[in-house]
Amino acid sequence: MTLQECYAAMGGNYEDAIGRLRSERLVQKFVLKFLDDGSYALLCRSLEEKNYEEAFRAAHTIKGVCQNLSIDRLQGSSGRLCEALRGGYTPEADALAEEVQADYAQTVAAIQTFQKASMG
Amino acid sequence: MEQKQKILIVDDSELNRAILADMLDDEYEIMEAENGLQGVGLLQQRGAEISLVLLDIVMPQMDGFGVLEVMTQNHWIEDIPVIMISAETGSSHIERAYELGVTDFISRPFDALIVHRRVVNTIMLYAKQKRLANMVADQIYENEQRSSLLIDILSHIVEFRNGESGLHVLNVRTLTELMLNHLVQKTDQYSLSSSDISMICTASALHDIGKISIDEKILNKPGRFTDEEFAIMKTHSMAGAEMLENLPIHQDDPLVKVAYDICRWHHERWDGRGYPDGLQGDEIPIAAQIVALADVYDALTSKRCYKDSFSHEKAVEMILAGQCGAFNPLLMECLQELAPDLPTLMSDSNSVAQRDRREMRNVAQEMRRHEELTASERTLQLLEHERMKYSFFADMSKEIQFEFTVSPPMITLSNWGAEHLGLDEIIMDPMHQPDAQSVMEAVDFQNLTDALRSTSPELPVVTYDCKLNYKGAWRWTQIVARATWSSDEPPRYTGAIGKAIDIHDSRMKLNALERMASHDSLTGLLNHSYAKKRILERIETRPAASYALVIFDLDHFKTANDTYGHSFGDQVLIYLAEKLRQCIRGGDIAARAGGDEFLIFLEYKDDVEVVISRIFQSLCGQYEHFPISVSMGVALTTAVPGGYDALFHAADAALYTVKRSERGHYRFYDETMRQTLSVISPIEDGEAPHEDA
Repeated sequence: MTLQECYAAMGGNYEDAIGRLRSERLVQKFVLKFLDDGSYALLCRSLEEKNYEEAFRAAHTIKGVCQNLSIDRLQGSSGRLCEALRGGYTPEADALAEEVQADYAQTVAAIQTFQKASMG
Repeated sequence: MEQKQKILIVDDSELNRAILADMLDDEYEIMEAENGLQGVGLLQQRGAEISLVLLDIVMPQMDGFGVLEVMTQNHWIEDIPVIMISAETGSSHIERAYELGVTDFISRPFDALIVHRRVVNTIMLYAKQKRLANMVADQIYENEQRSSLLIDILSHIVEFRNGESGLHVLNVRTLTELMLNHLVQKTDQYSLSSSDISMICTASALHDIGKISIDEKILNKPGRFTDEEFAIMKTHSMAGAEMLENLPIHQDDPLVKVAYDICRWHHERWDGRGYPDGLQGDEIPIAAQIVALADVYDALTSKRCYKDSFSHEKAVEMILAGQCGAFNPLLMECLQELAPDLPTLMSDSNSVAQRDRREMRNVAQEMRRHEELTASERTLQLLEHERMKYSFFADMSKEIQFEFTVSPPMITLSNWGAEHLGLDEIIMDPMHQPDAQSVMEAVDFQNLTDALRSTSPELPVVTYDCKLNYKGAWRWTQIVARATWSSDEPPRYTGAIGKAIDIHDSRMKLNALERMASHDSLTGLLNHSYAKKRILERIETRPAASYALVIFDLDHFKTANDTYGHSFGDQVLIYLAEKLRQCIRGGDIAARAGGDEFLIFLEYKDDVEVVISRIFQSLCGQYEHFPISVSMGVALTTAVPGGYDALFHAADAALYTVKRSERGHYRFYDETMRQTLSVISPIEDGEAPHEDA
């Protein structure tokens, strides 16, 4: 799997990322680093604990990271969740959280496949 | 080799920080903070080194706007440019960021090239601005030094012709400055700003330039002037003024105007009998009035070709007596008030002035040697060196060192101190921060800040003992702190620096020693001498109350010792002491007074017999096979006047009476017992020597 294919699989925009960050090396480095980012775990934990202020910040961070790396699909859902939590809990948040969960799983799966391919 | 400039990235996402760092770390040294609070901490510690801040908005602990507010409060924003980077694109956010002083706003997703270019541009712009500001400051400094140097040379030439020491100009300037500073404290009648004062002092050096037009023979004549000579001599003031008036340029310069006033009128008199114009009172400009006085004072205290020098005291006396001219009464007052300290003040500031000049030369030479290094950069390097030295020693010392600022309310702890207390190195708003509150009681914090606030810049040090929580263990700690005061008038309290010393062990040792000295080691009750001290205190605080002193001992205690052994005897005493503790009230005093004698001191209101009887009943009982029975004597303050000793003897006598007649009872002291003996025996281990035996 190439980085380009990985982007396709996670619903990202490869050209945009390369265009902005200016090097394939950089994009690859940070896409792989995405796997270690703790924001998603923080989001899940704070939603469980009903700490919506923290959840807002976590969703916001995920959105920011996705923006930087042009991971558009997850950026979209995390951005919507972020807005739903901006002023505290709203009923839409639950469905949006599930959406983020699905997109995140897909993103991580794509990156992991790419990681294996690039190492092997 | 040139050092890399430093960029501080404040963003809660490690990945975001890493992306930015990757773009910039070839050219810049990157510092990272994962929330606003950490960012503020790094700015506080190392602000002078940081060339740029890249700041996120949404962060835990303190958001980007919070960081900007702190930067504004501390004026850091004026020197350190901030570029905000955020996924927030609402115009209200961008507007607020610009209002709070950010240089630039970059929205996510960003283009690496744009971020890089904007960072480089901003740093260059600020560096240029800073370099320009430094150049201007250095030049102003240099110019000022040059012009006062020229004035000094010029006036020295005048003096040289005059055969004077060369110190005259310096002395006149110093005294002029002292008088002016004192005058403005007394009155604002002449509305003199500090720049006016410094200008008058500089101009004072020119007061005698007119003497350059006077024939040297007259100038240096040892004896009295003829009328003709004096008339010529008198022209020097007008001559000096005309020289300044005829300057081809700079005529409108304020310094020249002040110098003109001083030259022309420094021989006028308050009463109107001076020269050249015969001005009267405040018609004479204040600058000329003061220089005139300073001139006379220095002439009196210096040796001249026509006279010897007078002592300081004599000179002041002559001026105040009106023997050397007529001066503004207000200035006479100033002189009189300054007089006691004048000799010290004069020699201090003269030597400071001379040292300043020497240092100036050194600095100037130094700067020429390192041409690329401006004075301001040098200051920065020194500062950086001091900071490194400080943090090294702070880490080595294993002490809790702290710095507290009032605005923003913030505590910075030394690395070791923070670790030791389990706190962050930076604590914002400590009064409302739960972690900080769990370390120090709010009341202690309040007391300490109150004490610091009520210090003065002269006596700023406070010592305060309290308990601190060291990760769960409350320990006695001594806090020594120095309040910091601003240099404004009046000075403002701005915070404190200090350290906390763990004194728990020594304090506990002291407490233990105190306890050992005041308590009986077997029963844990007070010993007799300490009980007496407490009783005396009690009587002194409430002398009108009614008190009862009770002494009792164990019946047949000797039998218990003889039959069951001494250690059984000790058990009985411990048992009885425990019973005693249970049957008295909190405010009562109980003590072991002797071998098997005990003492109770209590306050009563109504029927004391009921109280005594209740205590008596509860003491009687049984310990193992040994029946506990006591004999008890009671003395009341109402019946026995004459203080503690009399009271004690009375209770002792009552006890003796019981022992002699029928053991196992209690009795109140009455007059019939006056002649009886004492039963009190010394304690066997000898710890508490018997005072009243």
